[in-house]
Amino acid sequence: MAGDARLRILEATYTCVARYGLAKTTVEDAARVSGMARATIYRYFPGGRDQLVAEVIAWEAERFFERLAAAVGDTEGLEELLEEALFFAHRAVDEHEVLQKILQTEPDRLLPQLTVESTRIIGYIRAFLMPHMEEQARAAGLESEEAADFVARMLLSFTGSPGRWDLSDRAQVTELVRTEVLAALRPAAGPTVTDDTMRPS
Amino acid sequence: MTATGVLPEATAEAVVDRPDATPGGAPERSLQEVRVVDAALRCIARWGVAKTTLDDVAREADWSRATVYRLFPGGKEAVLETVVEVELERFFAALDGRLRAAPDLEDLLVAGMSEAGARITGHPALRFLVTHEPEVILPQISFARAERVLARAASFASPYLARWLGPEEARRVGEWVTRIVISYAASPSESVAIADAGSVRRLVRSFVLPGVRASVDAQARARPVS
Repeated sequence: MAGDARLRILEATYTCVARYGLAKTTVEDAARVSGMARATIYRYFPGGRDQLVAEVIAWEAERFFERLAAAVGDTEGLEELLEEALFFAHRAVDEHEVLQKILQTEPDRLLPQLTVESTRIIGYIRAFLMPHMEEQARAAGLESEEAADFVARMLLSFTGSPGRWDLSDRAQVTELVRTEVLAALRPAAGPTVTDDTMRPS
Repeated sequence: MTATGVLPEATAEAVVDRPDATPGGAPERSLQEVRVVDAALRCIARWGVAKTTLDDVAREADWSRATVYRLFPGGKEAVLETVVEVELERFFAALDGRLRAAPDLEDLLVAGMSEAGARITGHPALRFLVTHEPEVILPQISFARAERVLARAASFASPYLARWLGPEEARRVGEWVTRIVISYAASPSESVAIADAGSVRRLVRSFVLPGVRASVDAQARARPVS
C-alpha cells in the first residue's frame, strides 16, 4: 500500500515535470495530479520539492534501464545482446520526449542529478551484464566484474554521445561492439595482423 | 541558487570550437594575463564561479581592480573565458610533452590517458565545480555538448596516434580513449584508477589494445588481396 502511494506520487510528479519542467514542478502540483494531500506527499518525501524532483529523475532512469533490460531479454549470446542494447538505448534516448525537452530547456538542473545517478547506473548495467560475460572474461584472463564495468561504461558513453558512430545503422552497431565495446572478450577472428603495424613508421 | 549563465556561452564555445588551437599555435599570453588567470583559478577552487568577483581576483593577484579591468575590459566574463583557454592550452601542452616522448603505441596510450586523468581529477578549480557547482560545468560536457569535446580531443590526439595507425584509425582511437578517460574520471571505479599509470597500463593492455587490433584487423581483411 505504501509502495502504491509512493509510486502514484512519482507518476504524478513525472507528469508535472513533462508538462512544466523541473524548476516549476511543485509539491502542490504533485498533490493535485496524484489526488493526494500535500501532507501525504511530505510524509513520503520529507525533503519536499527538491527530493521529489531528485527522486523522479532517479526513478525514470531506473525505468529506462528496466525497459532496456526487457528489450534485450531474448537475444542469444553476449554480442547480440550488446548490439540490441546499443540499438535500443540510442533510439530510446532520441525518442524520449521528456528527456530531450529537459536537455534543451533545463540542462543545468538535470545533468548534475544524472551525473550523480551515472555511478549507480554503471553499477546497474554491470550487475546485469556480469552473468552474461563470465565465460568470455575467464577465457580472456579477466575478472568478470572489471570486464562488465568497462563494457557498462562504454554502453553508457555511446548511448549519451554516439560521436562518430551512427547507432541507427545496424552494421555500424555490429562493428562498434566488436571493436570499442567487446574486443577484449572476443577471440580474434581470422589471422591477426602482427604488432608490427603498430610500430612507428 | 543556480549559476546558469555564469559561464558565458562564449566560454563554452572556447572549450571546444578551436580544434586548431594546438600548443604550438597558442597565442602568447602576457605575464599579467597569466597572473590574473592563476589568481582567478585560486578563487574558483576556493569559492566557485558564481561567488568569485573581479574584486576577489584583483585582491588575489595583488593588483587594483582598475589594473585588472585594463587587462580585461570585458570584466569577469572575459577573465573566465581566458581562464578556460589558458587551462586548455596548459592541458594540451602537458599532454604534448608526454605524447612526443612515447616510444610505442602502448606507452603513448598509457601516458596520454593517465596524464589526462591526473590533470582532470587533480585540478583544484575543476574539482570544486564538479562537487559544488555541477550546473556550471556539466552542461558543457554532456550529451550533445560532449560530441564537441570528443571531436576536439580526437583531433588533438590523432597526429600522435598516426605514428602507429592510419589517419582514420587514429581519429577513431583518439575519440574512443577520450570517452574512456571521461568515464573513469567522472565516475570513479573500483578496478581502474585513471590517474595512475600502472592501473591505466593494465586497462590499456586488457581493453584498449585488443580494440585497436580488432579494428586494424577488420580493415586489413576488408582490403582486397592483390
